[in-house]
Amino acid sequence: MLPELGHAAIVVGLALSAYATIAFVLGARRGDRAVLASARRAIYASFGLAALAAVTMVVLLLTHDFSVLYVARNNATTTPPFFSVISLWAALEGSILFWTLLLTGWASLVIWRHRAGHVALLPWAGATLAAISAFFFAVMTWPGNPFTRVTPVATEGPGPNALLQNHPFMGLHPPLLYLGYTGLAVPFAFGIAALITRRTDEEWLGIVRRWTLLPWIFLTLGITAGAWWSYAVLGWGGYWAWDPVENAALLPWLTATAFIHSSMVAERRGSLRIWTSALVIATFCLTLLGTFLTRSGVIASVHSFTQSSIGPWFLAAIAVALTGSLGLLVWRLPALVGSERPAAPVSRESAFLLNNVLFLGITFAVLFGTLYPLAVEALSGDTVSVGAPWFDRVNAPLFLLLLFLMGVGPALPWGAASWRSVRDRLGLPIVAGVAGVVAGLAIGMRDAAPLATIGLALFVVAILGDELLRGTSSRARTRGEPAPAAAWRLATRNRRRYGGYLVHAGICVMAVAISVSATQGQDATATLRPGQNMRVAGYTLTYQRLVQEPLRDDPQVIETRAEVGISGRQTGSLATALRSYPSSSTPIATPSVQTSLGEDLYVTLLSYDPATSTVTLHALVNPLVVWIWLGGGVVGIGAIFAIWPDRRRATAPAPAPVPVASAGATPPRREPIPETAAPSVRAEEA
Amino acid sequence: MPRTYAFPLALGALLALAGLLVVVALRPASAPSREEVARQIAGDLRCPDCQGLSVADSNSGSAVEIRRQIEEQLTAGRSPDEVRQSFVDRYGEWILLSPTAPLAWLLPALVLLAAVGALTVWIWRARRTRERAGGSADPPVTELDRARVREEAEALDA
Amino acid sequence: MNVRALRWLLVPLVVVPLVLLLLHGFGRDPQAIPSRLIGKPMPEFRLVTLDGRTVTSAELRGKPVLLNFWASWCIPACVDEHAVMLEAARSYGSAVQIVGVLYQDTPDGARTFGARYGEPSWPTLLDPDGRLALDFGVTGPPESYFVDARGIVRYKQFGPLTAAVVSDQLGRLLGAAGGRGS
Repeated sequence: MLPELGHAAIVVGLALSAYATIAFVLGARRGDRAVLASARRAIYASFGLAALAAVTMVVLLLTHDFSVLYVARNNATTTPPFFSVISLWAALEGSILFWTLLLTGWASLVIWRHRAGHVALLPWAGATLAAISAFFFAVMTWPGNPFTRVTPVATEGPGPNALLQNHPFMGLHPPLLYLGYTGLAVPFAFGIAALITRRTDEEWLGIVRRWTLLPWIFLTLGITAGAWWSYAVLGWGGYWAWDPVENAALLPWLTATAFIHSSMVAERRGSLRIWTSALVIATFCLTLLGTFLTRSGVIASVHSFTQSSIGPWFLAAIAVALTGSLGLLVWRLPALVGSERPAAPVSRESAFLLNNVLFLGITFAVLFGTLYPLAVEALSGDTVSVGAPWFDRVNAPLFLLLLFLMGVGPALPWGAASWRSVRDRLGLPIVAGVAGVVAGLAIGMRDAAPLATIGLALFVVAILGDELLRGTSSRARTRGEPAPAAAWRLATRNRRRYGGYLVHAGICVMAVAISVSATQGQDATATLRPGQNMRVAGYTLTYQRLVQEPLRDDPQVIETRAEVGISGRQTGSLATALRSYPSSSTPIATPSVQTSLGEDLYVTLLSYDPATSTVTLHALVNPLVVWIWLGGGVVGIGAIFAIWPDRRRATAPAPAPVPVASAGATPPRREPIPETAAPSVRAEEA
Repeated sequence: MPRTYAFPLALGALLALAGLLVVVALRPASAPSREEVARQIAGDLRCPDCQGLSVADSNSGSAVEIRRQIEEQLTAGRSPDEVRQSFVDRYGEWILLSPTAPLAWLLPALVLLAAVGALTVWIWRARRTRERAGGSADPPVTELDRARVREEAEALDA
Repeated sequence: MNVRALRWLLVPLVVVPLVLLLLHGFGRDPQAIPSRLIGKPMPEFRLVTLDGRTVTSAELRGKPVLLNFWASWCIPACVDEHAVMLEAARSYGSAVQIVGVLYQDTPDGARTFGARYGEPSWPTLLDPDGRLALDFGVTGPPESYFVDARGIVRYKQFGPLTAAVVSDQLGRLLGAAGGRGS
């Protein structure tokens, strides 16, 4: 009966989402509070039903109920409970159910959080979110029913996709990524609401910025975790292959990041309304496009789920979302056009605008590269490929320019820059950057990309450090606080600014680690008999013996392990394995990664001959890789710091009346604004 | 150190770096070894039975064989282009990870240049308009600017 | 005409090409690439079969050839087409030469496959380092090539063979050969 219960929950969820869509629209047009309240309750209920369906599916997976097609295809009686649970998102239908759960969760959270405010915007945002939820419920009601039964009922299944049950990271990376994807529907919904109600004002901007930052954090961590997963599991020694599924996650990240930056200009200068609305719309459409590309089999990828009848539904959704939102934007264009106010040529605004152009340039390049083979095939019939060499060469200069702007931006004042103040700010950081390049040259680095990255990253970090130092010393001087306390108070009273700086510092760490690990690695391949050794980049690997045994927690899986002793900058031993899963034709590599702060020793077992115990090993030395994950963590911490709610009013016994520079809208005005303040006056000098 | 000295120092450092880079670039580089050439070629070829990985990055059977054939052909004295062509002969352009059509390289660059150009024109034209209107070339001080200044000043004092 | 109304053109200009492009992508497998060998002689080879016999490309001349790249791990596609090929071997008999080529697989895997799904009546060539597959431009099993009596490649089937494709292509090759012969 359970599968029927699950499907019934989905059908009722569809009905409630559809009802909520209509009720929000009617309630908004008539100003009927009772109708709006019932629409809100329908959203909460649809979340409850999605949760019920998801729990049902998890129970079916845990009890290995092979009468359900999804379970029969993605589970085995021997599948460990952890992997049974995360199989919820291991294949197409389950991932759509999980997706719907998160989407309705976000919708409920937003509606609940703003239940008392934003009277004009909320109903329309609610209607948009409800309509998107209804689409996903509809997909599960008809073409992608996760609870489809199968007869005859098998007694054993193949288990989850081998690649997905090989590493516990599968429990972390998809949820983070999906939280990001689905969360980006919220700013889209508010974008639609703003266009309908003609309210692209500061209130709107404040809400949208907050609701973009939160999913942005999940998306950033999800992408990083995904790179980490592919590094730890796929066995080729890299973490990013410009695979369509990776590009699908990167595209909305790029436009969301562009939005976060342009929203600051929009807030400061009250302009860029068309631009910011277009960015939130583009972000959501790109998440839909990415889902379509990776789930419909149009473009092959590591985890394209099998071709399915869901493709046409998603294509229709893309067409509707794009036509509707673009049409709305064009319709409202005349009302928005007059509000644009360009910036002074040399100013922080200009830096932000150029930043947006670069982000959109990268977005275009990635989208172009992803769709190019399809377009060429459609127009000329030729089959061509676009892969890592193209993406690297096209995007590297753009990312380096962004890195440069990341440093210059904070050094430029809002309004218009005076040459003198800029000059004084850039001097020492330039020296720091040059020193970095020279150090790189000195240790024998000759590739342009990592040298430029190191130089620019040091330049940026020096500027950020300088900003923090100036603020701290000025605060310490005027208020007589000790420096650490001054720095902490400065940062916590300017969370967005200093959180943003921390994010930038994390990006710098990642950029250096990525460019160095991508260009400075070394590797070797050797076929060895027991007792023989191989050398790679100063390490000696001694192959000791071959062990073959079933896995302890899943005896259907046979692991063949090569045990290897290592000596060099790290010493000890490692075991690198190939695992044979019943669901997989070819064995899955389980690379061994010995991590240190300086470099990873990454060893993959390519093949073995059980008769002679001969093995072929591929050993790579990848410098600085661990700093990619650490840098990702810093980015996450910085972003969380930036959006952390300001509780000073409630807790801190501040000596003076508490000013508010919260992470929200513009602060309440306590004093008359000095008429003499020039726009280029910097805070520290004021 | 007074900040006024920092910028001249920075200019000097940049000049010195430029000189150093020229020296490094002009120094006769040792010709790439055969392994480096082979790796380069393998990095440009698509592994036929993988999904989007290059021959250099993949450990599939076909990738191993292609790497062996690259090595073999280079040893026989074939040029890198001839080696690449031998695989294009069998698989078509599909096997090259970088498309050869100039459009594939030019279009992203052109789009970016056009966007930067449009931004520049927009900013400069607005500046002109303000100048002609008799005002300052820089945007006028607004309520938002003042709020911003005050906000930052308060943050320092709080 | 109102120029401002032209801005509405933006919507179809973005949406229509994108949707058409994605629509075109349906049912297209990115690994399915056209063969460069069509109309050209089949690559030469000299390989050993599963039961130790040596087969060369030269001795396959004179009869239409169906060359099938497969692997025991290619499930279910290779299982499906195996039935089709068994049927084809029965109905065409000695008029056609069917040849299997083992792709990235072990002889043991191939023997187990044969025992489970029906012993093939045709030779299975071992291609241990995948050289022949590279020469044919194979991107993964199953893939099949129809070669005419003069050794010219005429058709490439990407994915599993179906009864319709086999009768179509072999019929064409036999028809052409018959036409010349009489």
